[in-house]
Amino acid sequence: MRAKDHPALRRYVRRFVPITFVYMASIALATFIIADNAPATALTIGLALLPGLAVLGWLWAMARLLVELDDEYLRMLEVRKMLVATGLTLAITSVWGLLELYSPKIPPMPVFYVFPIWCVGLAIGQLVNRFGFGDAGDCG
Amino acid sequence: MKNRLKVLRAERDWTQGDLADALGISRQSVNAIETGKYDPSLPLAFRIADLFALPIEAIFMRD
Repeated sequence: MRAKDHPALRRYVRRFVPITFVYMASIALATFIIADNAPATALTIGLALLPGLAVLGWLWAMARLLVELDDEYLRMLEVRKMLVATGLTLAITSVWGLLELYSPKIPPMPVFYVFPIWCVGLAIGQLVNRFGFGDAGDCG
Repeated sequence: MKNRLKVLRAERDWTQGDLADALGISRQSVNAIETGKYDPSLPLAFRIADLFALPIEAIFMRD
């Protein structure tokens, strides 16, 4: 069996694609409907929570991948990617937070960016697997 | 950890894919174990040993 044919990976892709569609559609909808500096109402909060639910869906899909991936080597590659992503996210947000605290001219980083930074970390984790350990895996 | 997986596989004229199918793992995993990039867990090492009908220490050796 090729790694990319693993049933757990196929399920992961089947989950990831519709969740991504929901995320992009809800971001577009919220951006279109909610004006800049609009007061917080039930509508604005509800619209803002929609992409938040999609992010929770992504996290659920990734957690299920680790649970369902019964090939221990492929699972190790995935876990290593997530560790790299977590380390990178903690490093960037922690250092930036300290800069904000002691250098008032540093613009505050919106918390919104934490998950995108983590996703960039996943891609870097893939490169670490590829070039640091000679195996990127086929799990995206 | 060193191992004799490649030799044992060749003796039986198995491809990495054959061994992977027999163990229920990916060919990529077999390659990683054979090349020493990854040391299998004890349960997987036992499955490998059972498949070749050998004790674990006849397949996996200390560096």
